[in-house]
Amino acid sequence: MTDLNQLYKKAILEHNRNPRNYGKPESWTHYAEGLNAICGDLVEVYLSIQDGVLETVHYSGESCAIAMASASMMTELSTGLTTVDWQQKFGLFKRLMDKNNAINSFDELGEVNTLVTVKKFPSRIKSATLCWYAVDAAIKGVGTATTE
Amino acid sequence: MLREQFPGLNVQVHGKPLVYLDNAATAQRPQAVLDAINDYYLNHNANIHRGVHALSESATVLYEQARVSMAKLINAPTMKDLIFVRGCTEGVNLVAQTFVRNRLKAGDEILISHLEHHSNIVPWQILCEQTGAVLKVIPMNQLGELELDDLDQLINEKTRFMSVVHVSNSLGTINPVKKMVQAAHDKGVPVLVDGAQATPHIKVDVQDLDCDFYTVSGHKMYGPTGSGVLYGKTEHLNSMPPYHGGGEMISKVTFESTVYNAVPAKFEAGTPNIAGGIGLGAAAEFILAAGIDKISARDHQLRVYTEQALKQVSGLSIIGNAKEKSPVFSFVIDGVHAHDIGTIIDHCGVAVRTGHHCTMPIFQYYGLAGTCRASLAFYNTEQDVDVLVESLLKAKTMFQ
Repeated sequence: MTDLNQLYKKAILEHNRNPRNYGKPESWTHYAEGLNAICGDLVEVYLSIQDGVLETVHYSGESCAIAMASASMMTELSTGLTTVDWQQKFGLFKRLMDKNNAINSFDELGEVNTLVTVKKFPSRIKSATLCWYAVDAAIKGVGTATTE
Repeated sequence: MLREQFPGLNVQVHGKPLVYLDNAATAQRPQAVLDAINDYYLNHNANIHRGVHALSESATVLYEQARVSMAKLINAPTMKDLIFVRGCTEGVNLVAQTFVRNRLKAGDEILISHLEHHSNIVPWQILCEQTGAVLKVIPMNQLGELELDDLDQLINEKTRFMSVVHVSNSLGTINPVKKMVQAAHDKGVPVLVDGAQATPHIKVDVQDLDCDFYTVSGHKMYGPTGSGVLYGKTEHLNSMPPYHGGGEMISKVTFESTVYNAVPAKFEAGTPNIAGGIGLGAAAEFILAAGIDKISARDHQLRVYTEQALKQVSGLSIIGNAKEKSPVFSFVIDGVHAHDIGTIIDHCGVAVRTGHHCTMPIFQYYGLAGTCRASLAFYNTEQDVDVLVESLLKAKTMFQ
Protein backbone atom coordinates (compact mmCIF):
# COMPACT_ATOMS: atom_id res chain seq x y z
CA MET A 1 0.00 0.00 0.00
CA THR A 2 1.26 3.46 -0.77
CA ASP A 3 1.69 5.99 2.02
CA LEU A 4 -1.35 7.82 0.70
CA ASN A 5 -3.50 4.70 0.87
CA GLN A 6 -2.09 3.97 4.32
CA LEU A 7 -3.05 7.47 5.40
CA TYR A 8 -6.60 7.11 4.13
CA LYS A 9 -7.03 3.48 5.10
CA LYS A 10 -10.50 2.05 5.55
CA ALA A 11 -10.69 2.44 9.33
CA ILE A 12 -9.94 6.14 9.05
CA LEU A 13 -12.42 6.74 6.25
CA GLU A 14 -15.04 4.77 8.18
CA HIS A 15 -14.58 6.92 11.31
CA ASN A 16 -14.74 10.02 9.10
CA ARG A 17 -18.04 8.88 7.62
CA ASN A 18 -19.53 7.68 10.91
CA PRO A 19 -17.86 9.67 13.65
CA ARG A 20 -18.45 8.33 17.19
CA ASN A 21 -19.53 10.61 20.02
CA TYR A 22 -20.06 13.41 17.53
CA GLY A 23 -22.16 16.45 18.33
CA LYS A 24 -22.82 18.65 21.31
CA PRO A 25 -24.22 16.62 24.23
CA GLU A 26 -27.02 17.80 26.50
CA SER A 27 -24.71 18.32 29.43
CA TRP A 28 -21.01 18.40 30.19
CA THR A 29 -18.66 19.55 32.94
CA HIS A 30 -15.61 20.56 30.92
CA TYR A 31 -15.32 22.25 27.55
CA ALA A 32 -12.58 23.56 25.26
CA GLU A 33 -12.15 24.53 21.64
CA GLY A 34 -9.18 23.54 19.52
CA LEU A 35 -7.98 25.92 16.85
CA ASN A 36 -5.63 25.32 13.98
CA ALA A 37 -5.36 28.85 12.67
CA ILE A 38 -3.37 27.91 9.56
CA CYS A 39 -6.06 25.53 8.31
CA GLY A 40 -9.01 27.27 9.89
CA ASP A 41 -9.92 24.02 11.62
CA LEU A 42 -12.03 24.29 14.75
CA VAL A 43 -13.06 21.41 17.01
CA GLU A 44 -15.01 21.69 20.23
CA VAL A 45 -14.82 19.05 22.93
CA TYR A 46 -17.32 18.41 25.73
CA LEU A 47 -16.33 16.25 28.69
CA SER A 48 -18.26 14.96 31.69
CA ILE A 49 -15.75 14.29 34.43
CA GLN A 50 -17.00 12.65 37.64
CA ASP A 51 -14.57 11.80 40.45
CA GLY A 52 -11.63 12.15 38.09
CA VAL A 53 -13.11 9.82 35.49
CA LEU A 54 -14.01 10.82 31.90
CA GLU A 55 -17.60 9.58 31.91
CA THR A 56 -18.38 10.92 28.43
CA VAL A 57 -16.28 12.57 25.73
CA HIS A 58 -17.97 14.30 22.78
CA TYR A 59 -16.73 16.57 20.04
CA SER A 60 -18.08 18.69 17.22
CA GLY A 61 -16.70 20.68 14.35
CA GLU A 62 -16.00 20.34 10.66
CA SER A 63 -12.54 19.17 9.84
CA CYS A 64 -10.59 17.01 7.44
CA ALA A 65 -10.87 13.22 7.53
CA ILE A 66 -7.69 12.88 9.57
CA ALA A 67 -8.94 15.26 12.27
CA MET A 68 -12.41 13.73 12.28
CA ALA A 69 -11.17 10.14 12.49
CA SER A 70 -8.59 10.99 15.12
CA ALA A 71 -11.22 12.74 17.25
CA SER A 72 -13.67 9.89 16.81
CA MET A 73 -11.11 7.26 17.84
CA MET A 74 -9.88 9.42 20.70
CA THR A 75 -13.38 9.71 22.20
CA GLU A 76 -13.80 5.93 22.12
CA LEU A 77 -10.43 5.37 23.71
CA SER A 78 -10.92 8.08 26.34
CA THR A 79 -14.38 7.27 27.65
CA GLY A 80 -14.14 5.69 31.09
CA LEU A 81 -10.50 6.59 31.69
CA THR A 82 -9.28 8.50 34.71
CA THR A 83 -7.77 11.84 33.76
CA VAL A 84 -4.41 10.50 34.94
CA ASP A 85 -4.67 7.49 32.60
CA TRP A 86 -5.84 9.79 29.80
CA GLN A 87 -2.73 11.95 30.21
CA GLN A 88 -0.58 8.84 29.95
CA LYS A 89 -2.30 7.86 26.67
CA PHE A 90 -1.98 11.43 25.39
CA GLY A 91 1.75 11.14 26.05
CA LEU A 92 1.90 7.93 24.03
CA PHE A 93 -0.11 9.48 21.21
CA LYS A 94 2.29 12.41 21.00
CA ARG A 95 5.14 9.91 20.72
CA LEU A 96 3.23 8.01 18.02
CA MET A 97 2.83 11.26 16.05
CA ASP A 98 6.47 12.29 16.51
CA LYS A 99 8.08 12.06 13.08
CA ASN A 100 11.48 11.58 14.72
CA ASN A 101 10.20 8.56 16.61
CA ALA A 102 10.34 5.20 14.81
CA ILE A 103 7.78 3.50 17.09
CA ASN A 104 4.81 2.41 15.02
CA SER A 105 2.32 1.40 17.67
CA PHE A 106 1.56 1.25 21.37
CA ASP A 107 -0.70 -1.55 22.59
CA GLU A 108 -2.41 0.90 24.95
CA LEU A 109 -3.66 3.01 22.00
CA GLY A 110 -5.60 0.27 20.20
CA GLU A 111 -7.26 1.47 16.99
CA VAL A 112 -5.67 4.91 17.37
CA ASN A 113 -2.49 3.27 16.07
CA THR A 114 -4.03 3.29 12.57
CA LEU A 115 -3.19 7.01 12.50
CA VAL A 116 0.55 6.28 12.58
CA THR A 117 1.05 7.06 8.87
CA VAL A 118 0.07 10.68 9.57
CA LYS A 119 3.61 11.29 10.81
CA LYS A 120 4.87 10.76 7.27
CA PHE A 121 2.77 13.82 6.31
CA PRO A 122 4.22 16.51 8.57
CA SER A 123 1.74 19.17 7.45
CA ARG A 124 -1.09 16.94 8.69
CA ILE A 125 0.19 16.00 12.15
CA LYS A 126 -1.61 18.99 13.64
CA SER A 127 -4.87 17.75 12.14
CA ALA A 128 -4.52 14.50 14.06
CA THR A 129 -3.43 16.03 17.36
CA LEU A 130 -5.88 18.98 17.50
CA CYS A 131 -8.69 17.17 19.32
CA TRP A 132 -6.27 15.64 21.83
CA TYR A 133 -4.89 19.05 22.72
CA ALA A 134 -8.45 20.32 23.05
CA VAL A 135 -9.32 17.58 25.57
CA ASP A 136 -6.09 18.29 27.44
CA ALA A 137 -7.10 21.97 27.60
CA ALA A 138 -10.61 21.09 28.78
CA ILE A 139 -9.29 18.85 31.57
CA LYS A 140 -6.96 21.63 32.68
CA GLY A 141 -9.74 24.21 32.54
CA VAL A 142 -8.19 26.16 29.70
CA GLY A 143 -10.75 27.39 27.17
CA THR A 144 -8.72 27.18 23.99
CA ALA A 145 -6.01 24.93 22.63
CA THR A 146 -4.04 25.69 19.50
CA THR A 147 -1.65 23.51 17.57
CA GLU A 148 0.41 26.41 16.28
CA MET B 1 8.31 29.58 -24.75
CA LEU B 2 8.08 31.77 -21.67
CA ARG B 3 7.41 28.71 -19.49
CA GLU B 4 10.91 27.42 -20.18
CA GLN B 5 12.32 30.48 -18.48
CA PHE B 6 10.97 29.25 -15.12
CA PRO B 7 13.39 26.56 -13.88
CA GLY B 8 11.41 26.06 -10.66
CA LEU B 9 8.68 24.38 -12.68
CA ASN B 10 10.99 21.50 -13.63
CA VAL B 11 11.11 19.75 -10.27
CA GLN B 12 9.48 16.44 -9.40
CA VAL B 13 7.17 16.04 -6.43
CA HIS B 14 6.54 12.54 -5.04
CA GLY B 15 8.08 11.22 -8.25
CA LYS B 16 5.63 13.17 -10.43
CA PRO B 17 6.25 16.29 -12.51
CA LEU B 18 5.26 19.38 -10.57
CA VAL B 19 1.93 20.97 -11.48
CA TYR B 20 2.26 24.32 -9.77
CA LEU B 21 -1.16 25.86 -9.13
CA ASP B 22 -0.35 27.89 -6.04
CA ASN B 23 0.69 31.08 -7.80
CA ALA B 24 -1.51 33.32 -5.68
CA ALA B 25 0.52 32.22 -2.64
CA THR B 26 3.79 32.84 -4.39
CA ALA B 27 4.74 32.68 -8.07
CA GLN B 28 7.72 30.97 -9.64
CA ARG B 29 10.64 33.18 -10.71
CA PRO B 30 12.12 33.39 -14.20
CA GLN B 31 15.82 32.74 -14.77
CA ALA B 32 16.34 36.48 -15.37
CA VAL B 33 15.30 37.21 -11.78
CA LEU B 34 17.55 34.49 -10.38
CA ASP B 35 20.42 35.75 -12.53
CA ALA B 36 19.92 39.34 -11.37
CA ILE B 37 20.08 38.27 -7.72
CA ASN B 38 23.18 36.16 -8.34
CA ASP B 39 24.82 38.90 -10.36
CA TYR B 40 24.45 41.32 -7.47
CA TYR B 41 25.96 38.92 -4.94
CA LEU B 42 28.71 37.74 -7.29
CA ASN B 43 29.71 40.91 -9.10
CA HIS B 44 28.38 43.97 -7.25
CA ASN B 45 28.21 42.91 -3.61
CA ALA B 46 28.31 46.14 -1.59
CA ASN B 47 26.04 48.36 0.43
CA ILE B 48 24.18 51.06 -1.48
CA HIS B 49 23.91 54.83 -1.16
CA ARG B 50 26.98 54.89 1.07
CA GLY B 51 30.40 54.05 -0.24
CA VAL B 52 32.47 55.84 -2.82
CA HIS B 53 34.03 52.61 -4.02
CA ALA B 54 33.19 51.11 -7.38
CA LEU B 55 31.07 48.22 -6.14
CA SER B 56 28.93 50.44 -3.95
CA GLU B 57 28.31 52.70 -6.90
CA SER B 58 27.41 49.87 -9.27
CA ALA B 59 25.16 48.23 -6.67
CA THR B 60 23.41 51.58 -6.12
CA VAL B 61 22.88 51.96 -9.86
CA LEU B 62 21.34 48.48 -10.10
CA TYR B 63 19.05 49.13 -7.14
CA GLU B 64 17.86 52.47 -8.46
CA GLN B 65 17.40 51.01 -11.93
CA ALA B 66 15.04 48.50 -10.35
CA ARG B 67 13.03 51.39 -8.95
CA VAL B 68 12.84 52.85 -12.46
CA SER B 69 11.64 49.49 -13.84
CA MET B 70 8.93 49.25 -11.20
CA ALA B 71 7.83 52.84 -11.90
CA LYS B 72 7.53 51.92 -15.57
CA LEU B 73 5.55 48.78 -14.78
CA ILE B 74 2.85 50.64 -12.84
CA ASN B 75 3.24 53.91 -14.77
CA ALA B 76 4.20 56.02 -11.77
CA PRO B 77 4.99 59.62 -12.74
CA THR B 78 8.44 59.41 -11.18
CA MET B 79 10.60 56.73 -9.60
CA LYS B 80 10.75 58.91 -6.48
CA ASP B 81 7.12 58.04 -5.76
CA LEU B 82 8.13 54.44 -5.14
CA ILE B 83 9.28 53.22 -1.74
CA PHE B 84 10.88 49.80 -1.49
CA VAL B 85 9.10 47.71 1.14
CA ARG B 86 9.04 44.04 2.13
CA GLY B 87 5.69 43.57 0.46
CA CYS B 88 2.11 44.79 0.52
CA THR B 89 1.74 44.10 4.24
CA GLU B 90 4.48 46.59 5.08
CA GLY B 91 3.09 49.05 2.53
CA VAL B 92 -0.37 49.03 4.13
CA ASN B 93 1.05 49.34 7.65
CA LEU B 94 3.28 52.21 6.57
CA VAL B 95 0.36 54.16 5.11
CA ALA B 96 -1.88 53.39 8.10
CA GLN B 97 0.65 54.67 10.61
CA THR B 98 2.23 57.60 8.77
CA PHE B 99 -0.54 58.96 6.54
CA VAL B 100 -3.87 57.98 8.04
CA ARG B 101 -3.17 57.96 11.77
CA ASN B 102 -2.62 61.71 12.07
CA ARG B 103 -5.91 62.39 10.31
CA LEU B 104 -8.08 60.34 12.65
CA LYS B 105 -10.08 61.14 15.70
CA ALA B 106 -12.48 58.91 17.62
CA GLY B 107 -15.59 58.12 15.61
CA ASP B 108 -13.98 58.68 12.20
CA GLU B 109 -14.36 55.86 9.70
CA ILE B 110 -12.01 53.81 7.56
CA LEU B 111 -13.59 51.92 4.70
CA ILE B 112 -12.34 48.56 3.43
CA SER B 113 -14.11 45.77 1.54
CA HIS B 114 -15.29 42.27 2.39
CA LEU B 115 -12.78 40.85 -0.11
CA GLU B 116 -9.66 42.01 1.73
CA HIS B 117 -6.71 39.84 2.67
CA HIS B 118 -6.00 39.91 6.40
CA SER B 119 -3.09 42.22 5.57
CA ASN B 120 -5.58 44.90 4.54
CA ILE B 121 -7.84 44.34 7.56
CA VAL B 122 -5.62 43.94 10.60
CA PRO B 123 -3.46 47.09 10.15
CA TRP B 124 -6.69 49.12 10.09
CA GLN B 125 -8.06 47.35 13.15
CA ILE B 126 -4.84 48.19 14.99
CA LEU B 127 -5.21 51.81 13.86
CA CYS B 128 -8.83 51.86 15.04
CA GLU B 129 -7.72 50.58 18.46
CA GLN B 130 -5.10 53.33 18.60
CA THR B 131 -7.43 56.15 17.61
CA GLY B 132 -11.02 55.15 18.36
CA ALA B 133 -11.84 55.19 14.66
CA VAL B 134 -14.36 52.71 13.25
CA LEU B 135 -13.82 50.16 10.48
CA LYS B 136 -16.56 49.96 7.84
CA VAL B 137 -16.84 47.26 5.19
CA ILE B 138 -18.13 47.36 1.61
CA PRO B 139 -20.30 44.21 1.32
CA MET B 140 -19.90 41.37 -1.19
CA ASN B 141 -22.41 39.16 -2.99
CA GLN B 142 -22.70 35.45 -3.75
CA LEU B 143 -20.70 35.81 -6.96
CA GLY B 144 -17.79 37.17 -4.99
CA GLU B 145 -18.21 40.69 -6.35
CA LEU B 146 -18.39 43.84 -4.27
CA GLU B 147 -21.85 45.38 -3.85
CA LEU B 148 -21.16 48.94 -4.91
CA ASP B 149 -24.72 50.26 -5.18
CA ASP B 150 -24.50 51.77 -1.72
CA LEU B 151 -20.89 52.91 -1.97
CA ASP B 152 -21.96 56.56 -1.97
CA GLN B 153 -23.70 56.02 1.37
CA LEU B 154 -20.76 54.12 2.82
CA ILE B 155 -18.43 56.97 1.96
CA ASN B 156 -19.78 59.69 4.25
CA GLU B 157 -18.60 62.78 6.08
CA LYS B 158 -16.89 60.60 8.71
CA THR B 159 -14.87 58.58 6.19
CA ARG B 160 -11.19 59.52 6.31
CA PHE B 161 -9.64 56.79 4.17
CA MET B 162 -10.52 53.88 1.92
CA SER B 163 -8.30 50.83 1.36
CA VAL B 164 -9.41 48.21 -1.15
CA VAL B 165 -7.97 45.18 -2.87
CA HIS B 166 -7.50 45.31 -6.64
CA VAL B 167 -7.69 41.55 -7.25
CA SER B 168 -8.95 39.10 -4.60
CA ASN B 169 -6.34 36.50 -3.69
CA SER B 170 -8.87 33.85 -2.71
CA LEU B 171 -11.61 34.32 -5.33
CA GLY B 172 -9.79 36.08 -8.16
CA THR B 173 -12.36 38.89 -8.39
CA ILE B 174 -11.01 41.96 -10.18
CA ASN B 175 -12.58 44.96 -8.50
CA PRO B 176 -13.54 48.12 -10.43
CA VAL B 177 -11.06 50.15 -8.42
CA LYS B 178 -10.90 53.10 -10.81
CA LYS B 179 -14.61 53.71 -10.29
CA MET B 180 -14.22 53.24 -6.55
CA VAL B 181 -11.32 55.70 -6.35
CA GLN B 182 -13.43 58.23 -8.25
CA ALA B 183 -16.35 57.77 -5.85
CA ALA B 184 -14.03 58.27 -2.85
CA HIS B 185 -12.29 61.28 -4.38
CA ASP B 186 -15.66 62.89 -5.10
CA LYS B 187 -16.00 63.09 -1.33
CA GLY B 188 -12.39 64.05 -0.69
CA VAL B 189 -11.39 60.60 0.65
CA PRO B 190 -7.92 59.31 -0.25
CA VAL B 191 -7.57 55.69 -1.35
CA LEU B 192 -5.00 52.90 -1.11
CA VAL B 193 -5.28 50.05 -3.59
CA ASP B 194 -3.72 46.70 -2.59
CA GLY B 195 -2.24 45.40 -5.82
CA ALA B 196 -0.62 42.19 -4.55
CA GLN B 197 -2.51 39.98 -7.01
CA ALA B 198 -2.86 42.55 -9.78
CA THR B 199 0.61 43.12 -11.20
CA PRO B 200 1.15 39.43 -12.13
CA HIS B 201 -2.09 39.37 -14.14
CA ILE B 202 -3.34 42.75 -15.37
CA LYS B 203 -2.12 46.13 -16.50
CA VAL B 204 -1.71 48.52 -13.61
CA ASP B 205 -1.58 52.26 -14.27
CA VAL B 206 -1.53 54.23 -11.03
CA GLN B 207 -2.01 57.54 -12.84
CA ASP B 208 -5.07 56.26 -14.66
CA LEU B 209 -6.48 54.78 -11.44
CA ASP B 210 -5.63 58.08 -9.72
CA CYS B 211 -5.23 56.19 -6.43
CA ASP B 212 -3.30 57.90 -3.66
CA PHE B 213 -1.32 54.78 -2.76
CA TYR B 214 -0.73 51.43 -4.46
CA THR B 215 1.05 48.42 -3.00
CA VAL B 216 2.96 45.81 -4.99
CA SER B 217 4.25 42.46 -3.74
CA GLY B 218 7.41 41.22 -5.47
CA HIS B 219 7.01 37.51 -4.98
CA LYS B 220 3.50 37.41 -6.44
CA MET B 221 4.79 38.96 -9.67
CA TYR B 222 7.62 36.47 -10.31
CA GLY B 223 10.11 38.42 -8.19
CA PRO B 224 11.89 37.60 -4.91
CA THR B 225 10.16 37.14 -1.56
CA GLY B 226 10.57 40.04 0.85
CA SER B 227 10.50 42.60 -1.95
CA GLY B 228 7.83 45.04 -2.99
CA VAL B 229 7.03 48.69 -3.53
CA LEU B 230 4.63 51.23 -2.15
CA TYR B 231 3.59 53.90 -4.63
CA GLY B 232 2.33 57.17 -3.18
CA LYS B 233 1.45 60.51 -4.69
CA THR B 234 4.37 62.90 -4.30
CA GLU B 235 2.51 65.43 -2.17
CA HIS B 236 1.43 62.71 0.27
CA LEU B 237 4.89 61.17 0.60
CA ASN B 238 6.44 64.58 1.19
CA SER B 239 3.95 65.40 3.95
CA MET B 240 4.20 62.07 5.77
CA PRO B 241 6.50 61.53 8.77
CA PRO B 242 9.03 58.66 8.56
CA TYR B 243 7.90 55.12 9.39
CA HIS B 244 11.13 53.67 10.77
CA GLY B 245 14.08 55.61 12.09
CA GLY B 246 17.64 54.63 11.28
CA GLY B 247 20.42 55.00 8.79
CA GLU B 248 19.80 56.05 5.18
CA MET B 249 16.60 57.95 6.04
CA ILE B 250 18.49 60.95 7.47
CA SER B 251 20.46 63.82 6.06
CA LYS B 252 21.88 65.09 9.37
CA VAL B 253 21.89 63.64 12.87
CA THR B 254 22.99 65.27 16.12
CA PHE B 255 21.97 64.25 19.62
CA GLU B 256 19.66 67.25 19.67
CA SER B 257 17.80 66.64 16.42
CA THR B 258 17.69 64.89 13.09
CA VAL B 259 16.98 66.19 9.62
CA TYR B 260 15.24 63.55 7.51
CA ASN B 261 16.33 62.61 4.07
CA ALA B 262 14.16 63.34 1.03
CA VAL B 263 11.57 60.88 -0.31
CA PRO B 264 11.92 57.96 -0.97
CA ALA B 265 15.00 57.58 1.29
CA LYS B 266 12.97 59.03 4.20
CA PHE B 267 10.99 55.78 4.26
CA GLU B 268 13.87 53.39 3.66
CA ALA B 269 15.67 53.18 6.98
CA GLY B 270 18.52 50.70 7.28
CA THR B 271 20.22 48.57 4.67
CA PRO B 272 17.40 47.35 2.45
CA ASN B 273 16.85 44.01 0.75
CA ILE B 274 19.26 45.00 -2.02
CA ALA B 275 19.27 41.70 -3.89
CA GLY B 276 15.49 41.51 -3.52
CA GLY B 277 15.02 44.98 -4.96
CA ILE B 278 17.30 44.23 -7.89
CA GLY B 279 15.47 40.93 -8.47
CA LEU B 280 12.16 42.77 -8.37
CA GLY B 281 13.39 45.14 -11.04
CA ALA B 282 14.27 42.13 -13.18
CA ALA B 283 10.76 40.74 -12.63
CA ALA B 284 9.26 44.05 -13.78
CA GLU B 285 11.44 44.00 -16.88
CA PHE B 286 10.37 40.40 -17.50
CA ILE B 287 6.67 41.37 -17.43
CA LEU B 288 7.30 44.43 -19.60
CA ALA B 289 9.12 42.30 -22.17
CA ALA B 290 6.54 39.47 -22.10
CA GLY B 291 3.75 42.03 -22.42
CA ILE B 292 1.05 42.28 -19.77
CA ASP B 293 -1.64 42.22 -22.45
CA LYS B 294 -0.37 38.86 -23.65
CA ILE B 295 -0.24 37.59 -20.06
CA SER B 296 -3.83 38.73 -19.47
CA ALA B 297 -4.97 37.07 -22.71
CA ARG B 298 -3.31 33.80 -21.69
CA ASP B 299 -4.91 34.09 -18.23
CA HIS B 300 -8.29 34.37 -19.93
CA GLN B 301 -7.69 31.25 -22.03
CA LEU B 302 -6.69 29.33 -18.93
CA ARG B 303 -9.69 30.60 -17.02
CA VAL B 304 -12.13 29.43 -19.70
CA TYR B 305 -10.39 26.05 -20.06
CA THR B 306 -10.25 25.44 -16.31
CA GLU B 307 -13.89 26.38 -15.75
CA GLN B 308 -14.91 23.82 -18.35
CA ALA B 309 -12.50 21.16 -17.13
CA LEU B 310 -13.62 21.37 -13.51
CA LYS B 311 -17.16 20.50 -14.63
CA GLN B 312 -15.91 16.92 -15.07
CA VAL B 313 -15.68 16.63 -11.28
CA SER B 314 -19.19 16.00 -9.99
CA GLY B 315 -19.96 17.59 -6.64
CA LEU B 316 -17.37 20.34 -7.20
CA SER B 317 -18.54 23.90 -6.61
CA ILE B 318 -16.47 26.91 -7.57
CA ILE B 319 -16.63 29.60 -4.89
CA GLY B 320 -16.46 33.04 -6.47
CA ASN B 321 -17.76 33.48 -9.98
CA ALA B 322 -17.22 37.15 -10.61
CA LYS B 323 -17.59 38.33 -14.18
CA GLU B 324 -14.13 39.90 -14.05
CA LYS B 325 -11.62 37.59 -12.43
CA SER B 326 -8.09 36.30 -12.66
CA PRO B 327 -7.48 32.55 -13.17
CA VAL B 328 -8.07 31.68 -9.51
CA PHE B 329 -10.41 28.83 -8.62
CA SER B 330 -11.52 28.39 -5.04
CA PHE B 331 -13.60 25.24 -4.81
CA VAL B 332 -15.11 22.66 -2.51
CA ILE B 333 -16.09 19.06 -3.27
CA ASP B 334 -19.04 17.36 -1.57
CA GLY B 335 -17.87 14.82 0.97
CA VAL B 336 -14.15 15.53 0.76
CA HIS B 337 -12.57 18.15 3.00
CA ALA B 338 -10.21 20.66 1.38
CA HIS B 339 -7.18 19.50 3.37
CA ASP B 340 -7.71 15.90 2.33
CA ILE B 341 -7.96 17.00 -1.30
CA GLY B 342 -4.76 19.00 -0.89
CA THR B 343 -2.87 16.04 0.54
CA ILE B 344 -4.12 13.56 -2.05
CA ILE B 345 -3.48 15.71 -5.11
CA ASP B 346 -0.06 16.68 -3.77
CA HIS B 347 0.81 13.01 -4.32
CA CYS B 348 -0.09 13.51 -7.97
CA GLY B 349 2.38 16.41 -8.09
CA VAL B 350 -0.33 19.07 -7.89
CA ALA B 351 0.36 22.03 -5.59
CA VAL B 352 -2.70 23.98 -4.46
CA ARG B 353 -3.50 25.96 -1.35
CA THR B 354 -6.09 24.77 1.15
CA GLY B 355 -7.76 26.66 3.96
CA HIS B 356 -8.98 30.22 4.30
CA HIS B 357 -6.21 31.85 2.25
CA CYS B 358 -5.82 34.66 4.82
CA THR B 359 -9.33 35.88 4.01
CA MET B 360 -11.42 34.40 6.82
CA PRO B 361 -14.29 36.94 6.48
CA ILE B 362 -14.89 35.82 2.87
CA PHE B 363 -15.41 32.24 3.94
CA GLN B 364 -17.51 33.30 6.92
CA TYR B 365 -19.76 34.93 4.31
CA TYR B 366 -20.04 31.63 2.43
CA GLY B 367 -20.36 29.60 5.65
CA LEU B 368 -17.22 27.63 4.87
CA ALA B 369 -14.09 26.96 6.93
CA GLY B 370 -12.06 27.11 3.73
CA THR B 371 -11.59 25.86 0.22
CA CYS B 372 -9.05 24.37 -2.13
CA ARG B 373 -7.59 27.06 -4.33
CA ALA B 374 -5.99 26.44 -7.68
CA SER B 375 -4.38 29.70 -8.78
CA LEU B 376 -2.88 29.74 -12.24
CA ALA B 377 -0.24 31.83 -13.95
CA PHE B 378 0.38 32.37 -17.65
CA TYR B 379 3.04 29.62 -17.67
CA ASN B 380 0.56 26.97 -16.65
CA THR B 381 -0.70 24.69 -19.40
CA GLU B 382 -3.94 22.99 -20.32
CA GLN B 383 -2.16 19.76 -19.42
CA ASP B 384 -1.60 21.10 -15.89
CA VAL B 385 -5.36 21.59 -15.62
CA ASP B 386 -5.98 18.06 -16.93
CA VAL B 387 -3.69 16.63 -14.25
CA LEU B 388 -5.56 18.66 -11.64
CA VAL B 389 -8.87 17.20 -12.80
CA GLU B 390 -7.50 13.63 -12.86
CA SER B 391 -6.11 14.06 -9.36
CA LEU B 392 -9.42 15.45 -8.06
CA LEU B 393 -11.25 12.46 -9.52
CA LYS B 394 -8.76 10.23 -7.73
CA ALA B 395 -9.44 12.02 -4.43
CA LYS B 396 -13.15 11.51 -4.92
CA THR B 397 -12.64 7.81 -5.64
CA MET B 398 -10.60 7.36 -2.47
CA PHE B 399 -13.41 8.82 -0.41
CA GLN B 400 -16.21 6.83 -2.04
